[in-house]
Amino acid sequence: MAVVGANGSGKTTLARHLNALLVPTQGAVTIGGLDTRNPRNHPEIRRMVGMVFQRPEDQTVATLVEHDVAFGLENMGLPTAEIRTRVDEVLHRLDLWEERRRPPHMLSAGQMQRLALAGVLAMRPACIIFDEVTAMLDPVGRRAVRALLRELHEQGLTLILITHLMEEVLDADRIVVLHKGRVALEGPPNEIFTDADQVRPFGLDLPPAARLARQILDTIPVSDTAAAAINKVLSVSDLVTALDRLPRRVIDCPPDQESIESSEDGVGASSPALIQATGLGHTYMAGTPFAHLALRDATIAIRDELPHGLIGATGSGKSTLLQHLNGLLRPQEGNVRVGSYDLNDPDVDLRHVRRSVGLVFQTPESQIFEQYVGDEIAYGPRLAGLTGEALRERVRWAMALVGLDFEAFKDRYTFALSGGEKRKVALAAILSLQPRALLLDEPTAGLDPASRVEILDHLTALQHSGMVLAISSHQMEDVAQLVSELTVMVDGTTVASGPMRQIFTRGEELLSWGLEQPVAAQVATALRERGWTLPDNLVEPGQLVEHLARCCRQEEC
Amino acid sequence: MESFEFQRYITIGQYVPTNSPVHKLDPRTRLVGVTLLLIATTVTQQWVGLVLALAGALAITLLARIPLSYTLKGLLTPLPFIFILAVIQTLFGPGAAPDLIWDWGPFNVSLTSLLSGLSLLLRFPALILLISAFSAATSTTEIVRGLEALLHPLVKLRLPVQDFVLMVQVALRFLPLLALEAERITKAQASRGAEWGTGRGGPLRRARQVLPVIVPLFLVSLQRAENLALAMEARGYRSQEPRTSLIELRYQGADMLAMLLALASAALILML
Repeated sequence: MAVVGANGSGKTTLARHLNALLVPTQGAVTIGGLDTRNPRNHPEIRRMVGMVFQRPEDQTVATLVEHDVAFGLENMGLPTAEIRTRVDEVLHRLDLWEERRRPPHMLSAGQMQRLALAGVLAMRPACIIFDEVTAMLDPVGRRAVRALLRELHEQGLTLILITHLMEEVLDADRIVVLHKGRVALEGPPNEIFTDADQVRPFGLDLPPAARLARQILDTIPVSDTAAAAINKVLSVSDLVTALDRLPRRVIDCPPDQESIESSEDGVGASSPALIQATGLGHTYMAGTPFAHLALRDATIAIRDELPHGLIGATGSGKSTLLQHLNGLLRPQEGNVRVGSYDLNDPDVDLRHVRRSVGLVFQTPESQIFEQYVGDEIAYGPRLAGLTGEALRERVRWAMALVGLDFEAFKDRYTFALSGGEKRKVALAAILSLQPRALLLDEPTAGLDPASRVEILDHLTALQHSGMVLAISSHQMEDVAQLVSELTVMVDGTTVASGPMRQIFTRGEELLSWGLEQPVAAQVATALRERGWTLPDNLVEPGQLVEHLARCCRQEEC
Repeated sequence: MESFEFQRYITIGQYVPTNSPVHKLDPRTRLVGVTLLLIATTVTQQWVGLVLALAGALAITLLARIPLSYTLKGLLTPLPFIFILAVIQTLFGPGAAPDLIWDWGPFNVSLTSLLSGLSLLLRFPALILLISAFSAATSTTEIVRGLEALLHPLVKLRLPVQDFVLMVQVALRFLPLLALEAERITKAQASRGAEWGTGRGGPLRRARQVLPVIVPLFLVSLQRAENLALAMEARGYRSQEPRTSLIELRYQGADMLAMLLALASAALILML
């Protein structure tokens, strides 16, 4: 079963009632016949219903992996021998055996996630609740979690998945849509996702493949049977099967050479790079037993007018690289140049560099410290010396850029905002410095689909107004929509760099890097395997729609 | 550039898994041993004893295979304060001492005050080294198990031993997490024009930059503490219920030996 809904719709609150972390003030919850209002039932209920939370590092209690897995079993009062057997079994099963004697904070993000699950699985629950566990994971991590969920489901466990990613709920037998604390919709995926208008009022959207399918239906005249098939599409494989039923002339239709060539234009390496980093190396905690190599020989060039994407598996060094580009971290090895500033120069004016290149951290809303929205956004410009009307104007301007109304929001309490609004405030707080370039680390992670679309729209508008953008993300859809240049990172180094459409056609390599193609490119790859002739650089939904429209030549397909 | 790596300055509470002979001792031995040595080092009035304590602390660090450079770095932060304390101790000795060396208005230096100032310079580093060696060689789970076993008799007095022990465990686990969080927040503020890591700005200006860090750090810590509490509760933790453990405590020959050594050193520190 899956639970979806906008930020603040009550998903987590519902989940916490299911293993008696919260007890109803009204109504009743019974788990396996046990009433959660009776505290005596709690140990039994928590043994039956396990819960995996969003941030795995917040759930580890102990300082060694195996001790952490044992925590729940120790609470159950099992004998030492039994605990040992179960801990070892779970460690083997989740591929954590080699790490059993390591401290949790030295694990990779994927291992950390498995550790959180191991602690719950060892208790042998009948049901596990996953509360947004994939929000911060890379595509490979998400695939691994999905595979694990399927396996657990086959073994007869009841699974409840809370998520913002619509493609993840397709495996569920039943979806519950929450809206403002109430169940708004309930049913299997094919009933919930029949129509975008049905889910959009609840801050949700169709899964990406379904969205692409609707886009095709809206532009291309197709026969009734084909339309019926395309209309039912939920996943990439559905879409491929449906499109493969189109007439022969579409399948064999040659790609339009002109459109391929024109789309490759404008990517010339001749335009000067605003930010240039060459041969960067960085070791955290150098000279201590915790030394950790985060970057080696990384090279990136961010040009004016070409929004740049940075993709790579969790822990591949994206954040570390971004922090070099506005002088937060100084190069230990290699060179960084921002405009006319050489960051290798020890006397460089770092404040100027940081003001001209704004960096928005992951989940920036957690760093809000002022009570009022207006003061939060004014913090930067005030430090820069702005006062009175000029400061007011600047704040108004920054708020307008992210679509916050100055009069309505300036005196609102920051803590009372919704998740999406907080993220906008955090974004405006950087924009108020009027940076020349904006670096964003996972700008959409943890947002519901509606807020995500809004943030992406504002970023696109910023880019059109001349802001230089660089974005790191685990969401290939977002990257394909926003950027034109792309750099891929693996294990702390940059392994590929070039036009976004070229990089995203390298399907096999992307998989081996722990990434994946955007949905439209996945569809294109699958269609090519079935003998379709498609443009080589087909990556964006618009390109596929355009190709199909041209091949249908206004006739019914 | 190290200006943001706060974790670097926290050498207490960081477990370094080297699997050395010290790591293999029963946690109870390590707890009692380090407590004995700490008490001896704190109360001793003997010069030779203090030197011996410092040497002992270094020896334990080496035996536990913890890089010396790393533990010594943990000394760097408190060193200026220790130095100032030592100077004050030396300058404000009892005015009418028979062994007066120098006297100028309120300041006077006697042989006794000079010696006690100097002993401060030995005592504090020895204490800090002892604690960091112990915490580097003992995981929090072991500390908790050891404490639990040692304090077990107190349960009969209806004291909440288990809760107390868990409190210690969580506090230790949160230290590095807080450092990481502080790092994240100062970096974010620096991106917004705060003077972190630029090496500029007077003390007043720097002090003003602290509030924007403290507020989110406080909120984030509360949030994380709440998350941890929820996660623990979700995994069936209840404060009054009896718990079992993965670690079986075994008292072996090496433990006896280590215990005797600790006792002997403590006695020597006190008496030499």
